[in-house]
Parts: sequence; C-alpha cells; structure tokens
Amino acid sequence: MRLRTEYSVGAELKFLSNLDMMHLMERSLRRADIPYALSEGFNPHVKLSMGTVLPVGISGEKEYFDLELSQYMRADDFMQRMNAVLPEKVKIRQSVLIPAQMPSLMKTINSACYSFIVCHQTLDLMNWAAEFLSNDSLIVKSRGKKKDLDKDLRPGIYKVEVKQNKDLSSIDIWVSIGEPVNVRYDELLDIFLKKGFSHDDIVEVYRKANYIKEKGAFYSPLEKVTAS
Amino acid sequence: MKNRLFREILPQVSKPARYTGNEVNMIKKDWKKSRVKMAFAFPDVYEVGMSHLGGKILYGIVNEKSEHLMERAYAPWPDMEEIMRENELPLFSLESFRPLADFDVVGFSLQYELSISNVLNMLDLAGIPLRAEDRDNDSPLIIAGGPVVFNPEPFADFFDAFLIGDGEELIIDFLDCVDNSRSMKKMDKLIELAGIEGVYIPALYEREYGKDGHYKAIKPRFPGVPARVCKRLLRDLDTAYFPDKPILPYMEIIHDRAVLEVMRGCQRGCRFCHAGIVYRPVRERKVSTLRKQAEMQLKHTGYEEISLASLSTLDYSGVNELTRELVREHGEKGIGVSLPSLRVDAFSIDLANEVQKVRKTTLTLAPEAGTQRLRDVINKNVSEEQLFTAVEAAFKSGWLALKLYFMFGLPTESESDLDGIIELLQKVKSIGNRYSKRPVQIRASLACFVPKAHTPFQWQAQNSIEQLEEKRKYMMRNKSKNIKLSFHDSRTSYLEGVIARGDHSLSEVIYRAWQKGCKFDGWTEYFHFDRWMEAFEESAVDPDFYTCRQRSYDEVFPWDFIETGVSKSYLQKENDRATEAKLTADCRYDECSGCGICPFFGIDIDIKEESRHAIKN
Repeated sequence: MRLRTEYSVGAELKFLSNLDMMHLMERSLRRADIPYALSEGFNPHVKLSMGTVLPVGISGEKEYFDLELSQYMRADDFMQRMNAVLPEKVKIRQSVLIPAQMPSLMKTINSACYSFIVCHQTLDLMNWAAEFLSNDSLIVKSRGKKKDLDKDLRPGIYKVEVKQNKDLSSIDIWVSIGEPVNVRYDELLDIFLKKGFSHDDIVEVYRKANYIKEKGAFYSPLEKVTAS
Repeated sequence: MKNRLFREILPQVSKPARYTGNEVNMIKKDWKKSRVKMAFAFPDVYEVGMSHLGGKILYGIVNEKSEHLMERAYAPWPDMEEIMRENELPLFSLESFRPLADFDVVGFSLQYELSISNVLNMLDLAGIPLRAEDRDNDSPLIIAGGPVVFNPEPFADFFDAFLIGDGEELIIDFLDCVDNSRSMKKMDKLIELAGIEGVYIPALYEREYGKDGHYKAIKPRFPGVPARVCKRLLRDLDTAYFPDKPILPYMEIIHDRAVLEVMRGCQRGCRFCHAGIVYRPVRERKVSTLRKQAEMQLKHTGYEEISLASLSTLDYSGVNELTRELVREHGEKGIGVSLPSLRVDAFSIDLANEVQKVRKTTLTLAPEAGTQRLRDVINKNVSEEQLFTAVEAAFKSGWLALKLYFMFGLPTESESDLDGIIELLQKVKSIGNRYSKRPVQIRASLACFVPKAHTPFQWQAQNSIEQLEEKRKYMMRNKSKNIKLSFHDSRTSYLEGVIARGDHSLSEVIYRAWQKGCKFDGWTEYFHFDRWMEAFEESAVDPDFYTCRQRSYDEVFPWDFIETGVSKSYLQKENDRATEAKLTADCRYDECSGCGICPFFGIDIDIKEESRHAIKN
C-alpha cells in the first residue's frame, strides 16, 4: 500500500538539506509507529521517496513524499499520527492512497512556483512583471551542475503573478523543473538583482507549490492521483 | 536577535543547522521561573558536541530533575565566528538565543586537552573576561568538567571551579549551592562551593615551587578548603538518571544514534589508559534497565540504530543477552544495534556477526602493539593466537575490511616492535586472502603514545617529535604496498602530551597561544604548531620539560592532590611490572590487583548479570 503526502516546511527549518529532511521523516515515522515497509536486501531501509529537493535556505508550502506501508492504514489516521510527533514547523497537510504502479514524484513533478516577498517602494511591480515576461531570453550564470556557464531561464518561465500591497508585495513565478530547463530559485534571485531589486528588497523566498504540468495546466501531485 | 540570525547571518555560513536550535526534544524552561541558569558549553563544533553522552545526561538531569535550567552552546565554526565578530553578535544559547553572559554559570566539557583554545575563544566571543581573576560577581561562574580536568592545573587561570568525576549528583549539588550563595561576595561563594565533594576552586590555593622551578606543592589558603580534592563517584549506575528523551538533531551529527551506557569504568588495566584509572570502579546497569531505556529512547527519537557504549562493552556481563534482546525486540523495524569497541577474540566476532547480520563493512580491532612482549608491557591482554583466531573468524564470516589500532612510541619500544606491527599486518592480510574470495582491505591507524596523568605510565618519557617521525618513516619504508597506514600527527600529540602532564605555568602559554589565533587545535586544518611554540618561548616555558623527561618516583606531580581513589603506589607497581613485561589480570575475572579504589570509597565493583561468557584473557 502506498501513500502520497503533502507537507509544509516552515521558515525555521529552511536550512535543512534534503537528507536531513529524509531523516526527519523516517524518524518521525518510527516515533509515530507507522507500519512502514522495508526494502529487501543487505541494508534494509524505509521505502520512502522524497519529491523534488527543497533547496537549502528556503521553506516550502506544498512539498511531497511517497511512502510504502506494510499494512493498511487510513490516510487521515496516518496524517493525525504523524502530525502528533512532527516538529512544530513541519506539518502534513494531506495524504492520499495511490496505486502501487504510480510513477514516482521525482519522475512526474516538472514544475514549481517560487514566491518572492519584496518590499520595494518605487517599482511598479505589474510593469516589472510584464517587462520580465517580454524578454526573449533571460541569461544567468548557472548555479547548478554546469556551474558558471550561461543558461537561459526564459523557456522555463511559465507565468508570473503579482500581488502589490503598500508594504510587502509578492511576486509568484511558475517555472520548469528538469525540462526544458531546470530553473533554480537562486538563479531567479540573480535576475531580480539585475532588474532593479537590491538584496534588502527581498524579504523572503519560499517554494509555494510543486506541480505536474500537462498541456499547459498545473496539477498538484495529489490531484493527478485522484483524477486517474 | 533570532530574526536577524535567520535572515541575515545564517544564509551566509556553512551548515547553518548548527546554529538554529529548536530540535525535537529540546527543553526550553521558563527563564524567570528557573533558579540557577546554566549554559552547557562544548568547545567544539555542534555535530561533535551533540554526540557527547555526558552532555545529554547533564542536560536531562538539570532540566528534568531540578528547578534550575540548562541551555546549550557550541563553538561556532570559523566562518560563523567571523560573521559574528563582524556583526558584534555575542555567543548565544540554542534554546533561548540569549548571550552566554546572561547565565549564572557557564560550564565547559573538556574531553580533549587541546580543546582549551576553543574555550578561551568562546569566552571571548561571549564577551566574558577570560581569566577568573578578571571576573567579578556580575560575570557568570566559569566551570569545567570531563576527563581532562583530572589534571586541572594547566587551565587554573581560566576557571572559577572544576567539577571532577561523575557529574550526575555533583552538578545538582553545585547549582543548589550557587543558588544558596547568591548574596555572598565572590570569595565567600567560592569557599562555600569548595566544600562540595568533587569541586576544585583554583583561586583558593597557593602553589609552591622549588628553586629549580619544579612544582612542589599546592596548599589551601583558607580553613575548610580541602587539601586534597576527591573525585565525585556515582555509586549506583543502575538507578542513576539516564535521558529517555535525548535531543534529536536536524542535521547529521558524528554519533547519530540512540546510546545506552551499559557500564562505567573498566578494570582491564591497560597501563596507558587514562579513562581506565579515573573512572574506576566498574559499575554496570542491569539488562532489564537497559532494555527499558532503549525502548524509551527509540520511542522518543525514532532513531534507526542503538549503540552500546562504555569503555569496553564486550566485557559487560549482560552483553550477550542485551544485544540478542535488542535485536529481537527492534530488529524487525529495521533498527540496528552497534558495538563501538570490539575486544580481540572470537566471542567478539560472533557477537558482531549476530548484530550485523546484514552489513559487513569494516570491523575494528585494537591490538595496540605489534609484539607480544610490548603488549605485555602495556598490559593489553591479547595474545597473537587470539588475534589471529578473531581475524580468521571475521573473514570466514564475510567481513571484507579490517581496521586495526596501534600505538607507537610506547615505553621500551624498539625497532623489532615496529617490525612486529608490519609483520602482524602482513599475517592478517594473508589470513584474509585465504578466507575471502574478494581482496580484503587492511588499514592500520597508528596513534602516538601520550603518557597521561594518573596512569602507570605517568613517569615515562614521551617520544620526541623527531623520534616519532623517524619511526613513522621507518614503518612507511618497510610496509608492503597493499597495507594502508595512517599516523596521528606527532606535533599534535606532543602538545597534547605537554598539557596532559602540565602544571599551572601553562595557563600563560595557553592564553598567548589563543591571542595568536589558535583555535580548533584538534582539527588539522586549523592547527598551528608554530604559534604554540612562539607562545612557549614568549612565556619562557620549556615544553620538553613536561614530555621528554623520565620522571623519578619521588617527584611530586601537580595532579597528585586530585584523588582518584587509585593509589599512587599501585600505579608505581604497575609501571615497574611494565618494564618487566609482567601482566596484571582484570579483577572482574581474576583476583584483586590492589588498585585501592574499592577500599577507598568503601564499595565493590558492581557486576549486574551472571556472565555467560566468562573468558579470561
């Protein structure tokens, strides 16, 4: 039996690595006495697979993992027991049963939305967003695998939404993960800095959601399951 | 402060999770409602300090069992230190993010001689004067505990008090006394504290030196202050506090697992071993107690591994029953049991096979010396035959890599003993090749022998850096290619040796070394031997005086006034037997060796389970 779970990671835990988060989940599963399944072989481990890596330094509102159970358990029961033992700043939002043959999160999540909380007083953010999207290319020095090589983020920018308020505003950017280009949040930050923002203007960055993008529509990894 | 830390400071440093606190099972007590506020400060980086068992015990006892509170602080890594200094951010605790200067007591754990430079650096980062004489009643009391403080004099300038011996009861007595003496002047307060068994207050003593500059005596300056400071002994380990809910770190730490302390103390009597003397006598826990503790710890942490800690776990009378029970109770959930130190015999290998049915990576054995003669000198009761039987058993049952621990620079050591190490490794390798289908990996780690205070070898000269380097080169020349040797740094060991048997004159040297920027001396990348040598020269202290000298039996040592319960005459007898290569048996399995610990404290060694594997080595 397999469960897909959506959880949030608060700002206080934004410095955890993906491995730290995996250990945190595994140890929480044990504390909650969840009947997790173990892999066969020489070094049995919990059959837990984390979704796309949440970068060190940012928090996440909708992150995912899949877990295989050795016996039946109700999804809401799972959620309740986990939330009772999880650290305050990690919360399970939702869990659903998924078919055993469902492709993994890592294979299907292909988009994410990063939210930039800014406090710029003079820029008109609507115009800024329109200008941002009007570029044919957005070149940055890659911070990923091909470090320092030029990389064009534009093909991986899907949409931008702005909520302008008096003091704090938000700019949400929907980007691609993996193909056609892997857009990293710190590369987006570099563009912000090139286009009129200073470090002090950017109050907070977090990942708002992960998506499975199909034919122009953004599905949450939970939606995609229940739909099928 | 916390906001600024998370927003501005931490994004700039490596491994920020070292500084964020708020881990699962952290205890944050109400500041105002708590009586004495103590910070437990560990003079190394978070992942090292969080692995230390003593700290977990003290944290739990103070926070769960008393009305005082304890918070934690670790040495910031140099990148963090730099940013803290730039931003004038003082060293803070991980629970309430308060500066260390706000606490009533700041206690350092000294596990290793060279961590003292980090103590000074942490005090400086906290804005607390480094020397006890420069601190008034408004400063926190700065105290230290741990194995290193059995020779406290080298650090005497920096601490208001040393807490010597087992800390479980001592820490509470100490904090209660701090609470009750709040209104007193500092001197009166210190005299009050000196009345607690296990507490040494350096400011209350005067030291006498001979005309040659040699240390002669230390005497109390006030009535009621003890002339000899006796270590504190926890008589019953089985009923003593042990944390059921240790803090579960977010980041990976060095020993990232649940821990059981199956016993304290060891009576094997290895003549080089400091812990083997100062933590006598052996006190065990019952298997039933340990099983309960394991269950509680696993329930509250969710750890996937549980380790059986002690100085010599395979000697624990219940080791067989306990490991089998733990595997039976928790194995199905994928929880493993680990044995940190293995004795060199077939029984150990059997048990190791039992608990590590699955993963057979590296097995570690410690023969310590290369020839039978030299093993007899150090009283490491291991015969060549036992060693080879163990190695054979290990390779037969599928282990592929073996790590062997040796020391070199031992008393009476000659070239043939070094040859012995190489030959022994060759034989181990050929046994491996005989039993294993795949090529086996043999690695040897060679530590420089450092004579320690309170041990039978406290009179012995330590090899000079030049001698150690020559021996290292000799072994590297003579070893075959397929064996890997790794050597401890001889200069680090030399400095460790100076401090281990040092006296009060070293306080000045340590201070100067810190001024020159010495910190993290245990970390190769930060160790600056030249700066230390400059500090010695400027302080007009000859470091060779402490290491390279064979000391005479009538010499008075600066640590003699610290009473461990083991008699100096026993240590002397053991040193004599060493030179004759005579063995002394373990009193757990054989007759009493007359170390004096039991009559001194009016107790007996405390063995809990009927040993089902009584092997006399």
